[in-house]
Parts: sequence; C-alpha cells; structure tokens
Amino acid sequence: MIEFRHVSKTYAGSDRPVVNDLSFEVLDGEICVLVGPSGCGKTTSMRMVNRLIEITEGEILIDGEPNTSMSGTQLRRKIGYAIQQIGLFPHRTIADNIGTVPNLLGWEKGRIRERVNDLLDLVGLSPDEYRDRYPAELSGGQQQRVGVARALAADPPIMLMDEPFGAVDPITRERLQDEFLHIQEDIKKTIVFVTHDIDEAIKMGDKIAILKQGGVLAQYDTPQTILSRPNSEFVSSFVGGDRLLKRLSLTRVSELDLGPANGGTDGLPRISDGLTVRDALSELMGSGQSKAVVEKDGEKKLLTFQDIEALTSSGAMGGGKRSA
Amino acid sequence: MLSKIMGVFARPDFPLLLREHVVLSAVALLIAVAVALPVALLVRNTPLGATIAINVGNIGRAVPSLAILALALPFLGIGFASALVALTALAIPPILINASIGLREVRQDIIDAARGMGLSGGQILTRIQLPIAAPVIFAGIRTSAVQTVASATLATFIGAGGLGDLIVEGLQRRGPRYCSQGPSPSRSLRSSRSSASAGSRGPSPRRGCRSRRREEVVN
Repeated sequence: MIEFRHVSKTYAGSDRPVVNDLSFEVLDGEICVLVGPSGCGKTTSMRMVNRLIEITEGEILIDGEPNTSMSGTQLRRKIGYAIQQIGLFPHRTIADNIGTVPNLLGWEKGRIRERVNDLLDLVGLSPDEYRDRYPAELSGGQQQRVGVARALAADPPIMLMDEPFGAVDPITRERLQDEFLHIQEDIKKTIVFVTHDIDEAIKMGDKIAILKQGGVLAQYDTPQTILSRPNSEFVSSFVGGDRLLKRLSLTRVSELDLGPANGGTDGLPRISDGLTVRDALSELMGSGQSKAVVEKDGEKKLLTFQDIEALTSSGAMGGGKRSA
Repeated sequence: MLSKIMGVFARPDFPLLLREHVVLSAVALLIAVAVALPVALLVRNTPLGATIAINVGNIGRAVPSLAILALALPFLGIGFASALVALTALAIPPILINASIGLREVRQDIIDAARGMGLSGGQILTRIQLPIAAPVIFAGIRTSAVQTVASATLATFIGAGGLGDLIVEGLQRRGPRYCSQGPSPSRSLRSSRSSASAGSRGPSPRRGCRSRRREEVVN
C-alpha cells in the first residue's frame, strides 16, 4: 500500500507549490491513475514515490514505512519504473535492458536469463527472436512492451508508470492497454499510473486522482463515481460533456441483464457481447433499428435502447471492467 | 622521382627524427586526454559548464598552431618543453569538445530511466553515459591525434626536432634549385635565405650535420 500524507513539493526559488497537501492511499493490487491538465503536478507526485524528486513537506509511506527509510537507489530498485519515452539503453540488447535491475540486485546469470525469457513471453515478444536485438531494431509498440517488461523485471510489488503507452499510435495504445490490464489480473501490482488522457484514466484506473493546477487534489474516487458524481465544476469539465457515454464504456454488453429474444429476430443487427455498451449503442444507432440480437452462450438475447437507458439511470453501472 | 622521395626513409637520421616526432605527439596526446576527459566528466551534469567547455575548446581550435608555438617560446625557451606545451594545447580542444558533446547528447530519458531503476550516479556514468558517448569521444581523440601528428612538424621551428626538420630542409633545398634555373637575382635570394635560416636557428648540435647533408645532396 502506498500512502500519501499531506505531501507538498515546492521547488527552490519558487514560492508556489507544484504539489499541494496531497493525501490519498493506493491499495495493494490497485491501479491508481493520476490525471489532470499539464502542470498539475501528476508526474512530480509519481516521482516523489521513488524519490526521483524529494518531498518538501509531508511523507509517503510504502507498506507503512516512510520511503525515506532507505537510500534512494535501494528504494528505486524495489519499484518498477516505466516512462513514456521508454528510455531503453541503446547500446544494450533487449535481454540486457530487461535484466538491468536483476543485474543490479546481483541475481545469478541463469536466473536473469530465465526471468527475461518469461517477461518477453508475458509481453508477447518471442524470446528467441528478440532477446539479442537492440532497441533501435524494434517498433515503438515493441519498445514500449520491452519498457514494461523491464519495469517488471525484479518482480517489484509497486510500479510507477508515466504515460507508459503514450508514444504509440491509438490502435497500438489500445492493444497495449488491454494486454497490460490482462497481465495485471495475474500480477496484481500496486501501480501509480500517470496520464493526461481521461479516457485512459477511466480505462486503466481502479481509482482516479484528478489533480488541478497547483497540484491540488480535486477528486479521488473510482471511475464510476467520478463519472456519475463529479464533485466540482472542474472535475465535470475535465471528464468532459460525454461522461455519460464514458460511463457506458465501463460496462460490457455481456454484463447487462437482457431479456430473451422470442422469435422475429430476422433482420435485426447482431452485436457481439464482448463490446462495451458504448460501442453497442453506437452500432445500434448506426443500424437504424431499435433493438439488436446479442448471442451469449448460444442463447439469443435482445438489446434495446431501454436496456441502455436503464443502465445510465441506475447507479449500478460499471465495475465489471476487469472481469470482461 | 618516387625513389628520391622514398630515399628519405633510408637516411641515417630518419629513425631519430621519427622517434622524436612520435614521442612528442604521443606525450602531447596523452596529456591532452588526461586533461580533457576529466574536465568533460566534471562539467557533464552542468549545462553551463559544458557550454563553457565546448566554447573554450572552439576558441582553442581557432588559434593557429604556429601562434601557440610562438606563445610558448618566451616562457619555456627552445626545445621539447615548448613544443610539448604547444602541442598539448592544440590537442586538448577536439577531445574536450567531443567528450563534452558526447556526454551531453546522451538522451535525458535514458538517464531518467536509469536513475528510476536504481542505478547510482557512478553506475549511470560507467554503464550508460560513457558507453553511449564512446564513439563520439574516440572520434575526438582520433581528430586530435591526426592534428597533433601534423602539427608536430612545426616543432622544428623551436628546435624540438621531429619530421618537420626534413620538411623544412626540403623546402630550403628546393627553393635554391628552382631559383638557380632563373636569372641572376635568384642567387641573392638563395644566399639570403640560407643565411636567414641559419641565423634564425641559432646554435644547435644537429644543425651542423644538416647543412653538411644539404651540400652533399645539392652537389
């Protein structure tokens, strides 16, 4: 667990704090997304966890221990670190890049080799093909996979990720996000994730901390609550006018309680139950029909606009994102 | 023609001059590396320091080699020491510039990633910065080496020997020969040249044998 306790950061020579009295907790196994406009101190907050930036006031506790209880370098070897620019070492092979921290920790060669192979498999790169390549030979998406693998190398319980999927095209980004969520189901790391993209925050976060200018925490809550009950004008404008639609994207069609389709389904559009409700709504509207057929476990169900409306008015939406 | 040129390698004083030249160049280069690299390492984390180092280096490169020799002369007199100081001063700038630029150009995100993973300052230097900057640093040393070997020929002008002796000698010898084919004024030129060069050199143990050789070849 990571606890921020009244954390402030003021740079020398400035009287305005960049992070101001920040307090929240990140529970074990959860992804906490720090999101906000540029200059809101989200990256600074993240970098204070592994003390790349030192705190001016307050403290950050990791599993109850202040993060100042050991040296900065020792602390950082226990915390995974992945950044947008990736920062792979160009003069080292992919295997050496991923093995950086295990190497620092003095693991023996055979163990590092095995771990590197496992991690390459985990992020979907064939070890035989990629181990001995150099970063420049990889595409941007592959480099980001390696960056994530490198952050996971020594199996740290905590990871810091600063827009780790930021440097690739939207399609690749979406795939990397999905894959990472899938990996996270197994590895259950405690993650502080920084992004400026509210859609990514909603998708990736178990909790979202929205920061505003001056490093002030505007709201800290689950994505569902932030979308359904933004606590201020700032938050509601930051999440955008389409927050209702964003809420729909938190739920998949398979999670809806749909009525059976009794005959007469000919000519109705078919919708995959793996889609988010938002995408299903889009398909439904595009089809020009008022209902569609969803096939689930061989059973035909009927999806109507009423089902979707019911969802937006009930508070019970979302939360099933990980089970999808 | 070619055999005449090759003939220079067979001269008895050639190995000595070559050795002088190599020793002078090598020592100057070593001192330059020993001075320039630590300075570059020292200023690597301060953008201002690196900028100053690079600009001092650039100014250093712009100063003509001969001028540095002339500057060293009043302080250290004639001979090896003067030539060494001058050559070292010439050898430092390329190494300093390249090492500073090479270290500065290591991308910040690479260093950030290294720090974020728990490499210490020393580890970042030896495992990340130096290996990445190595090609640029070595290119600087190579440039410096070429320049030093070339400039070491000028050492002859302050009596430090080296292969420059042969070049100057050749120049002096060719001049008169060409002039002798011309009308009479060339004779006076010839005599004035040799006397001027003899006067400017001052007493030097090797000078005597050199002039003897010159006569041998001319005749």
